[in-house]
Amino acid sequence: MQLNANHITFAYTPQRTVLHDVSLTVKAGETLYVLGRNGSGKTTLLSCLAGLLIPDRGQVQLNGNPIGQCRVKERAKWIGLIPQEHIPVFAYTVEDIVMMGRAPYLGWLGSPTHEDRRIVTEAMEQVGISELRERPYTQISGGERQLVLIARGLAQKCQVLLMDEPTTHLDLSNQQRVLEIIQQLSQQGLSFVISSHAPNDALTYADHVLLLTGGWVTEYGAPQDILTESLLSTVYGIQTEVIYEKNKGRLIPRAVVPRRPKSIHPSTLDQPGSLLADIFDRSEVEPQLVIVTGLSGAGKTTWCSDLVTIARKHGYEVRGILSPGIYEGRHKIGIAVRNLETDKQRHMAKIRDKNEDKLSTPRWAFDEAVIAWANTVLTTISHSDLLIIDELGPLEFIRDEGLTAGLTMIDHGHYRVACVVVRSSLLPNALQRWPNAMVINGVVS
Amino acid sequence: MLQFARLINLLIMSKKQLISTSLMVLPVILFGISLTLGRYPISPVDILKVLISPLNPEVAADIPEVAQQLILRVRLPRILAALLIGASFGGTGAALQAIFKNPLVDSNILGVTSGAGFGAALAILLMGNTWQVQLSAFIFGLSAVTMAFIGGRLYQSTPLLVLTLMGILVGSLFSSLTALLKYVADPLDSLPAITFWLLGGLTSITWGRLIPLTIVTLTGITFLWLSRWRLNILSLGDEEASTLGMDPLRSKLWIIFVTTLLTATAVSASGVIGWVGLVIPHAGRLIVGPDHKYLLPVSISMGAAFLILIDDVARVLLPGEIPLGILTGLVGVPILILLLRRNRTGW
Repeated sequence: MQLNANHITFAYTPQRTVLHDVSLTVKAGETLYVLGRNGSGKTTLLSCLAGLLIPDRGQVQLNGNPIGQCRVKERAKWIGLIPQEHIPVFAYTVEDIVMMGRAPYLGWLGSPTHEDRRIVTEAMEQVGISELRERPYTQISGGERQLVLIARGLAQKCQVLLMDEPTTHLDLSNQQRVLEIIQQLSQQGLSFVISSHAPNDALTYADHVLLLTGGWVTEYGAPQDILTESLLSTVYGIQTEVIYEKNKGRLIPRAVVPRRPKSIHPSTLDQPGSLLADIFDRSEVEPQLVIVTGLSGAGKTTWCSDLVTIARKHGYEVRGILSPGIYEGRHKIGIAVRNLETDKQRHMAKIRDKNEDKLSTPRWAFDEAVIAWANTVLTTISHSDLLIIDELGPLEFIRDEGLTAGLTMIDHGHYRVACVVVRSSLLPNALQRWPNAMVINGVVS
Repeated sequence: MLQFARLINLLIMSKKQLISTSLMVLPVILFGISLTLGRYPISPVDILKVLISPLNPEVAADIPEVAQQLILRVRLPRILAALLIGASFGGTGAALQAIFKNPLVDSNILGVTSGAGFGAALAILLMGNTWQVQLSAFIFGLSAVTMAFIGGRLYQSTPLLVLTLMGILVGSLFSSLTALLKYVADPLDSLPAITFWLLGGLTSITWGRLIPLTIVTLTGITFLWLSRWRLNILSLGDEEASTLGMDPLRSKLWIIFVTTLLTATAVSASGVIGWVGLVIPHAGRLIVGPDHKYLLPVSISMGAAFLILIDDVARVLLPGEIPLGILTGLVGVPILILLLRRNRTGW
């Protein structure tokens, strides 16, 4: 048995391509985990593998035969799909549901035979749900429901079982119960393709992992090789730490844990050995990038401004731009932009009142001339000890407009330390661009 | 020995099988009892004699001619029609609720009843002959669904949803047209006739009309009964049905075609009788569960029993004859409310 996807591309509408050139292979008894953020195309990939969706380009093949040409009934004898949420309208018993797995073997108007019933009983026993057979499927727990659907896959006698986020709504013990059964069945030769949000499960149970980002394959290989900190940052847009275990002298990754943004006060630059001081020390060897993040109004600009003061005291050459808010009483009515070299400040954005403003976010309308000036300020910086870019927002990350010079300046690395201000909601975008950056909470207490 | 054990096994029925089998016998018993009911008293023995008389006229020689005519030409066709139409509504209700994954659906979902109502009203207004009324009801019932279907084809996405929407639209279009016909109808002559027809009843059933009804109903119900296993799978939704090796769209269209034919035939014979298709499958689900292997036959037989019973009430209990459509509503609503109260486990 071998399931192949060869360079498949799928689009729901011509404007919305969900899968780009995805290839994979699953052999008998293998478990493939598909990891990726929400909306990265995992479910679409499973639907393509199941033959429910036909790729626009490329082919899904089963033992070398394209499944697009397979009859629906024949396909169902090979490939089973367990959907994400599965609560039918009618309260069928567990046995009824498992019996439905025999559908591909029935004639157009046929009904199950003695042999079908034997297979169903066997499947329920194999998964350990025999005692639930008379219970309504709608009343059993989520973990038991997954097991019932696995039993249905066994009754279907398929060779590959595609499972869409099987453990998402399960508690820890049910997760373990389901995953262990999957593991044991795969040892008996059944193959699994599992979409999941749990990189740790992939480390423990997968033979191969496919990382999807926006429908593209970021990486495909053995879990211990590809579940690295920087790849996970690229895929999920958060920072992670991989915890290793020593096994026969080799370091084997055991778990992935998220790494939280650090809360550091700018004044700690004065203390030798502090994280901030370390960053400046390390910058003598290679450029260091710090992302200052936080909710809107958390004090990111003030944090940077404090850092500028302290860095100057230490004799560092500071360049770049700050964008402090312009207030009228307690209301923020605009955004200024200040050239840190000359301290010249200009009014960059005002509250948006017309719909036809060209360069605008829902809240702010930007002055294009000032943006152009700020971009010139940034591009003329040839080198600096501390480069501040405050702030890169949706214009830059999503629309590639606004302070685009800020993005390229960071990419080029003509600095020792760069501090770029990014609001929390855009942190994933920033980390996908610069996965190795240090993330700091820009909160001033 | 093994063969013997298997035989014993077959004889011992499960509780579910026992209940569903006894429910299937129910319409037969009611059928027998109903023959004895009526304003003209006839004893069960005489009824048996009359029933045999077409084969051997001498048996019923001592029975008055009126009684013979009453049994053979009035009661028998009428009760048979109630049985067939009730079975038809019960079966189509269960099947449609399964494929639409919605326990609140009945045979009017695609506008067939409204179309048939309009057809009948039009024929009453223009021609008035009962034979033409029936044909016109049938033709317009089918055209309503065809219109809904053609309308649904104009859109690409989620075909069944669009089909349902179109059914509702076509249904309301025909309801408006019927209202228009009633507005222009002669208030002394054709208006009461239209109103009476729309309320449903079996008074005008004859053997001539019973024969096509019997053929279509038995064929259609047999088809639904054979599809009982597919109904389970279709009720899970298109995606799962497809991964379980079924072409959901094709199967559903077949079932829609057959249920439409059944409904149009039933409605053209009896007028608009609501509620049976909605209430009976619910009652069935409470008794034997949602597995269509049991639910479908039980809905069919309970539908038959329910309509025989309602028709008995219409014939016997009340002084003037009350239209069936009114009685099914009056009895159906309280039953549905009771069932909804009792239901705690999902459908």
